[in-house]
Amino acid sequence: MDFAYTPEQEALRREVRQFIKENVTPDVVEELDPHAGAHRPRGQTPKTAALYKKIYDRGWLGIAYPKEYGGQGGDRISQYIVEEEFTRAGVPVNLGGSGAPAILAAGTEDQKKYYIPRLIKREVSFCLGFTEPHAGADLANLRCSAVRDGDHFVINGQKMYTTGAHASTHIYLMARTNRDVPKHEGISIFLIPMDTPGITVRPLWTIQNDPIAPPDTTYGASRTNETFFDDVRVHESCLLGEENKGWRVGSMGLNLDRVGASRYLISVRRDEDIVNWVKNNSFNGHAPGKDPAVRDKIAELWIEAQVCRLMTMRSMSIVERGGNFTYEGSAEKVWAPEHGVRVTEAITQMLGPYATLLNGSPHAIESGVFAHNVMGSFQSGINHGSVQVMRDQVARRGLGLPSARRSKKAEGK
Amino acid sequence: MDVLLNDDERAVAESAREFLEGECPPSLVRAMEKDPLGYPPELWKKVAELGWQGMCLPEQVGGSDMPLVYLGLVLREAGRALAPLPLHSTAVASLTIARDGSDAQKHQYLPAVVEGKSVLTWAFTEKDPRYIPDAIHMSARADGNDFVLDGTKLFVDNFEAASHCLVVARTGSDKGEKGITLFIVDTKANGIGHTPLVTLAKDRQSEVTFKGVRIPKANVIGPVGEGWPVVRAMVDRGTALICAQMIGATRKDIEMAFEYAKFREAFGQPIGAFQSVQHMCADMQIWADGGELLTFEALWKMDQGLPASVEVSQAKAFCNEKCEAAVRNSQTIHGGIGFMMEFDLHLWFRRVSSWTMRLGTSFEHRARIAHALIDMPGEVILGRPVPAVAEEEAAPTAKSRAVSEATA
Repeated sequence: MDFAYTPEQEALRREVRQFIKENVTPDVVEELDPHAGAHRPRGQTPKTAALYKKIYDRGWLGIAYPKEYGGQGGDRISQYIVEEEFTRAGVPVNLGGSGAPAILAAGTEDQKKYYIPRLIKREVSFCLGFTEPHAGADLANLRCSAVRDGDHFVINGQKMYTTGAHASTHIYLMARTNRDVPKHEGISIFLIPMDTPGITVRPLWTIQNDPIAPPDTTYGASRTNETFFDDVRVHESCLLGEENKGWRVGSMGLNLDRVGASRYLISVRRDEDIVNWVKNNSFNGHAPGKDPAVRDKIAELWIEAQVCRLMTMRSMSIVERGGNFTYEGSAEKVWAPEHGVRVTEAITQMLGPYATLLNGSPHAIESGVFAHNVMGSFQSGINHGSVQVMRDQVARRGLGLPSARRSKKAEGK
Repeated sequence: MDVLLNDDERAVAESAREFLEGECPPSLVRAMEKDPLGYPPELWKKVAELGWQGMCLPEQVGGSDMPLVYLGLVLREAGRALAPLPLHSTAVASLTIARDGSDAQKHQYLPAVVEGKSVLTWAFTEKDPRYIPDAIHMSARADGNDFVLDGTKLFVDNFEAASHCLVVARTGSDKGEKGITLFIVDTKANGIGHTPLVTLAKDRQSEVTFKGVRIPKANVIGPVGEGWPVVRAMVDRGTALICAQMIGATRKDIEMAFEYAKFREAFGQPIGAFQSVQHMCADMQIWADGGELLTFEALWKMDQGLPASVEVSQAKAFCNEKCEAAVRNSQTIHGGIGFMMEFDLHLWFRRVSSWTMRLGTSFEHRARIAHALIDMPGEVILGRPVPAVAEEEAAPTAKSRAVSEATA
């Protein structure tokens, strides 16, 4: 049992902080958030490419990834430290949700050699093509079809909530390749360049887009989309894993996405914000930080945030030991997002009407981040597997409780 | 950073669990609820042979000088088995003698503890149950070579069984930290009386009255009148250790609910197949995990000599509410049978509940955390020490930079 970082890891953290002070400027932050800027171009901009090259040259990208695929062959905790510092600074360097974990686990040698180094350097970026109008939590219901035509597939269908699809270079697409088998057994995953003919991206504006949420808002200024596939022809080498085995590959990717610095930080940043705000602020002499009820609530939330941190540390420890989660990643994905909602809502009751003020409003506190977070925080309990689905997994995989009886329709028969 | 148990830690925990599964069935727990001493002396001797009492005591008195996390793991297992042993009160007192007592005191009191010949306890609480200096009114008046103790202590564990009791009293000033002194008191000394309390846990707690009890000056632990830091550290250790015990008991309690849900059928299927029950169970597991991580981080920090008061309070405030909620859910899943005297579940439920009310309420612990977070200078960052210290420790963030640019 060891709750501390090694001296080498602490030194790494100091180095990263120094680097951030010297190299990460607000103009580059604005350009590099893959979800920020509703109209930003696809791929990297000259400024963001230069920054990532510098970070890569320091050996800080893909630390825990194998050297043969462009990583550093280092430890997961060091990678976590780098991710935590850069995420706090508004520079995404995490590879959870990037597609890299799934490609590493299920990709061909060619796919690994091509994608992993580029994902690490952030030259390639994937948006996730999972959800459809009729397939959300019950994702295996998806209808988007990929029909084999010789050594090609022809894809037709519609994907929803393809966040960042307008700015990503590739899509990680889940499609149906066999209609005549139970629904989980006819799904495949494809890695497809977004400039392939027949792909159309249309914005889906969220309640965060007007006005644009301030930096650090939980699921803030992201632009999400709907993405259409009209007779999109791709070569079979785009398949990730075997044809019709996509359900398993997809779950691998999702599981690895559930842990790490960014998932943890999006749930706890408001805790830090409110503590640091009440330390230094009052309304015309009335200091919420002196109110015993407010103090009690702040401490309660702080403890919950520590549990978010410790659950992340537990997941990191499991990964670092080379183990697999049974339920721990899912547990974290229940606790942290729900905490994020609780802390956000509690803060609104500490700040009252000030917490209604959005970005740009007179009298807005911290650029309106708390009002924006009311709209954003609950999203993390919904996307990448809702907290209800996560609880099912904790109960069934973790505790061995039996599956509920399913209707014939749910079985896809 | 590896928050999982290492091989040595796992071995200690597993052997403790195995031992208690053999030696400590629920029938023994029930029998000891009615026993005047509350524990079987022969079992106390056996665990001494395993080295439990001396686990974190110095080698010079026969102990093993191991880190507190090991004792935490043993107490977790003791909690799991509801072992009717005075481990906690003995640990609180003996660790305080070991850390803050004189060499003479260590040699006088600790070897008997290590050998399982002595039970110790401690007395802080009086009428006002808060763990703050102002709650202490018991007077200790200097008179020749003695101090004379007058006053009443409440909620004292295992007083009948204990040979000695650490007593917090005032040698001066009647408010604040100044004037607090800690004494080692022979429980059979003249002028001491005690009355058993009837408790939810059916454990042995007493009201203890002191009337002109003469204690030699050599029995003061730490400095006279400046004993608050010693007392605070004692209470913090006791708090972290009771959290470990609560976590162990909570685990066993909720595991019984998980098992029950797998075979109890309703509406043609196991109730554990219903999502409403599954989600209750998932929450119970998550809460127990959270409490365990907080508890062992606190113990680990103490082992490193790092400030751990905030971590201790985090653990206790969380366990107070989440362990209670978990065992409440467990009762709910069991339905009516869970409230039957002959069914064992209530043995765990009553103890976990009771422990949530000992060693500081959620409100008290959260007030301590809020004080550290809000009243101390410096920017607070999660994962860094609280209260925040050095300025250069503060991480640059997109927001702080934007603010500093705007004001520049």
